[in-house]
Amino acid sequence: MSGEVRLFRSVKEIPPEDYYTAGRRTCAGCGPALAYRLVLKAAGPNTVVLGPTGCMYVANAHQFLTSPYALPWFHTQLGGGGAAGIGTAAAFRALMTKRKRIPEEINVVVFGGDGGFADIGFAGLSMGVSYDYPRLLYVLYDNESYANTGIQASSTTPWGATTTFTPSGKVKRIGNERLKKNVALIMAAHPGVKYVATATLWPPLDLPNKVRKALESGGPSFIHVLTPCPKGWFTPPDLAVELSRLAVETGLWVLWEYENGKFKLNYKPSPRKHVKQYLQLQGRFAHLTADDIEVIEERTKKEWEMWMEMERTGRLIIPWPSSPGDSGDNMTL
Amino acid sequence: MKVVTRVSEALQIPRKKPITGARAIAEAVKLADVDVIAAYPIRPYTGIMNALAEMIANGEFMAEIIVADSEHSQFEIAKHASAVGARTFVGSSGVGLAYATEAIIVTAMDQLPVVAIAGCRALDDPGNFGMEWNDVLLFRDSGWLISWAKDPQEALDMTLVAYRVAEDRRVMLPHFIAVDGATITHIAAPVDVPSKKDVTEFLPLYRPPYPLDPAYGPVTKAQHIAPSLIGPEQRKHVDVAMKRAREVIVEAWKDYANYVGREYSPFIEAFHMDDAEVALVTMGAYTINALHAVEKARKDGVKAGLIRLRYFRPFPFWELRKVLSSVEGVGVLDFSYSFGSPDSGGVLFNEVRAAMYENPKPALDFLFLGGREPKPDDFVRALKILYEYVRTGKTPGNKRVFWLTLRGEDV
Amino acid sequence: MLKEGSSGLSYLEDLVWVVIHGRGVWHTGPASLIARTLAMAGMLAGRESYYYMRYDDSPERVNIPMMFYVVMGSPKVGVLLPEEVEPVGKLFSAVIVMDSVLLLKETSQRATLLDGVKNGAVIVVNTGLAPSQVAALLRKYQLSRSWSGKLVTVSASRYHNNIAFGLMGALLKAWNIVSLDHVLNALEVLNIDEGARRVVASAYRDALVTEVRLDVEEVRREREKIEIPEFRAGPWDIETYRKYQKALSRARSYEDRIRIMPRWEAIAPGLIEFGPRPGEKNLGFKTEFARIEAPIVDKAKCVDCKLCSYYCPDGAIDFKSIEVDYEYCKGCGICARVCPAKAIRMVSELERVEGLEDPELRKLSLAVREYGY
Repeated sequence: MSGEVRLFRSVKEIPPEDYYTAGRRTCAGCGPALAYRLVLKAAGPNTVVLGPTGCMYVANAHQFLTSPYALPWFHTQLGGGGAAGIGTAAAFRALMTKRKRIPEEINVVVFGGDGGFADIGFAGLSMGVSYDYPRLLYVLYDNESYANTGIQASSTTPWGATTTFTPSGKVKRIGNERLKKNVALIMAAHPGVKYVATATLWPPLDLPNKVRKALESGGPSFIHVLTPCPKGWFTPPDLAVELSRLAVETGLWVLWEYENGKFKLNYKPSPRKHVKQYLQLQGRFAHLTADDIEVIEERTKKEWEMWMEMERTGRLIIPWPSSPGDSGDNMTL
Repeated sequence: MKVVTRVSEALQIPRKKPITGARAIAEAVKLADVDVIAAYPIRPYTGIMNALAEMIANGEFMAEIIVADSEHSQFEIAKHASAVGARTFVGSSGVGLAYATEAIIVTAMDQLPVVAIAGCRALDDPGNFGMEWNDVLLFRDSGWLISWAKDPQEALDMTLVAYRVAEDRRVMLPHFIAVDGATITHIAAPVDVPSKKDVTEFLPLYRPPYPLDPAYGPVTKAQHIAPSLIGPEQRKHVDVAMKRAREVIVEAWKDYANYVGREYSPFIEAFHMDDAEVALVTMGAYTINALHAVEKARKDGVKAGLIRLRYFRPFPFWELRKVLSSVEGVGVLDFSYSFGSPDSGGVLFNEVRAAMYENPKPALDFLFLGGREPKPDDFVRALKILYEYVRTGKTPGNKRVFWLTLRGEDV
Repeated sequence: MLKEGSSGLSYLEDLVWVVIHGRGVWHTGPASLIARTLAMAGMLAGRESYYYMRYDDSPERVNIPMMFYVVMGSPKVGVLLPEEVEPVGKLFSAVIVMDSVLLLKETSQRATLLDGVKNGAVIVVNTGLAPSQVAALLRKYQLSRSWSGKLVTVSASRYHNNIAFGLMGALLKAWNIVSLDHVLNALEVLNIDEGARRVVASAYRDALVTEVRLDVEEVRREREKIEIPEFRAGPWDIETYRKYQKALSRARSYEDRIRIMPRWEAIAPGLIEFGPRPGEKNLGFKTEFARIEAPIVDKAKCVDCKLCSYYCPDGAIDFKSIEVDYEYCKGCGICARVCPAKAIRMVSELERVEGLEDPELRKLSLAVREYGY
């Protein structure tokens, strides 16, 4: 632990400098780009950034010898995020220990997507948080699909979303029939990890403060950030913040932290809004019937009993309803 | 009274000690003061990492050694550590290299001088501890430098020279040292370990030109590109680096001889080639067995010679062409294959033929596949077939390619 | 003897090319429908026809300009498929522009609207503006080269919420490579509903055709004076890259940019670029071309809470002054949404820079979407 964590108390305290700067091909209203920008503002100048392949690689493509990164930035392969972080952190430690470089505190931030961290790079991420490198932060920007390649389902795509690999059709009506993987819970199951949190773009300051805590936690850390994607979610481009808020207020996205063996819920929606307020804004759920949406609502309700239990006990519990058909309902999720 | 002399006083202790190839390579890595090592087990290369882990655990030298979750991660770790400015070491064998293919390929395009051992092993399926070259040769087109050691001593020397060549600013390419599997990693042979002082002078500190380090400013590396704008220009850098490597390799071996006292002809080692009418061409550990066959043939009156390639990339085509200019036939002892390639031959065979394109010679390929070890007699047989071919223009079955260790009809 | 250069490929003259300029996600569906229908119509007219989205600069991003191409062979030769048509020669016989803000900007960071366009070609614009207003915009903003040809305007959303139909009808008014019948039959072959066919016919009837002439010789000569950085073979540093970036930011056409891009010796080995210094933006790559609507900050209402600056995905609102940087703002509208004081309103970019109101811009719709690009 390197002393007290300096947290932002107001938006006005956020550093004005951008390290992921304007001048790139990301979508208008891109949630991941906004998260990227905020994460790096919080991390500050003594940071190396690594980018596994994904939307935040390709949309930031070189244009005429330019780069939007005001920090050292290096691509890593789609499944290479975990290893890239380790390689970079190991190099700094080795060079500093062996006096080949002046000792200094350097952050290593790996900014990977749901494809890069929840799917192909899952094992590498798991390895990444098993070592004891301090200031090594893995940020999963979760736009719930392989958005770069044209919106294909990943293991964090929610149930009921239409994607190009799981289109809603005449026979397979629901679209994606897999349940969203909770990567943060799995990361918290790694004994070496010092800080695990979930975040989204709302409320303001939540994400940058979690980045600060993670980097000061004294070990590897992981933050799972839900980042609305206008292209993949079928929404107008001005909704990223609104959707982040509704995801939290409907309880579909749960803000929590796990630190020093202690679970903490950051936001209790009360009363929790009905999930349809979040779902109905998004074209990817447009095919769902009122009954389908009720299935999601019921499941969310059940999960929240567990989240509240976790809040009460400070312990992690697997929050999924024990079986799809229990408690008399016919949950088909 | 009988004076008992201690053994060490009674004998003159030779400079060399019998150590395994794995240990010898580890000694080189230690001497090179490598900073970051990424390990993942697969036979036969694993012993190198075992040795290194033990050295580090016992404080013989200091390095971050990472036990990776896969070969892919292993090579990614090395790549990224190298980008920061650390000297790195990594390695694998067989399907392990295949698993890491993506990470291996980008390392060359990123022009990062990672040094890796490829402990050659037949690719799966089926699982097979035998030796084939195809695992390393997966990367022949990737921009990696590839050298081929014949014994533990050379594996050690090549490892040290590999760092020097790879990190040279004119080159900046990653470097494989291929060793023929267990015949090097698991066999102890006499090895002279150079002194730390000599190695330190021979091998300066690694300093990348554009380190991924905040102290050096905002360096962006390997951004996605619009290919029409910059694609060929970036590829050209790798091409030029590979071409420049030729002169750097020559310099490095010369300098190595100055410091360490062991001389090597940089690209090819030639035996009995001055008056040779037929020549065998090969790489790696079985050279020593092939030489016995050649010398036996010479006793029988056949003017045979032997050539060992020490580098596969850059391919020493010029040197090979020159040394083969006066022979009448060439036989390749080949542990590689390429199903469906020209004449259904080995990778080395077709590379050698391509190198001789301007001055073609009759050439035959002798394949040793599936990991079954060749017997000394197999090489004698190869020479016999080659000699007959040169003399009469005929080969058994009129073939160009022979599976010499195969049971059953070689169709 | 084979001659080099496009002039050597005389058969290119026999090919027919159409380019469609639109915006990622908003226009991908309609643009692809136009391209598909025209290609089918071309086949009905006896021409081997292909269509494709330009792929190499990863086009499908919300608001970011993108292009579709249709290419029809002649009875004598088959099609030719360069990924980038513009550098091959002046080949486009028709240009379809899916919103009028595209007239104000370079259509992507590469090509401008007129790159690769034949003299005498047809430009079709989806707009509620009068033809004279559109012609004036072309004269003011499309300075990449001199050009003359036909301008067709149509208010496509009046006919159908898929603007593809109206635009196709308008195109056919002035472009006769395929006939209206070919297109109507193509729609039938492609199983596109009967209503759509009537819409195409009505737009054909209503579209307005005018002749336009752009003379920008002087501007072009001015542009040729762009200073190309002196070639230097390393060591490469941020300053060398800056010189290229500066020259590139002054370029106005595809040709210019290719002319300025450095030879291999002048770029650093190992895939290196240099990012901006902290506090700066990515100076060599401005992104105003992505903006359809622009935020206008009413300073009188602003409470200086900084939320708009905090929440701008592109970092285009200055933290201190709350000024919008219109060289980078992509017009997503998040700032207007998060402003607690309602001090930011979104207006069309056309209104902001020209004071013109185009009803077509208010009808941008995500209803017609196509995935997979």
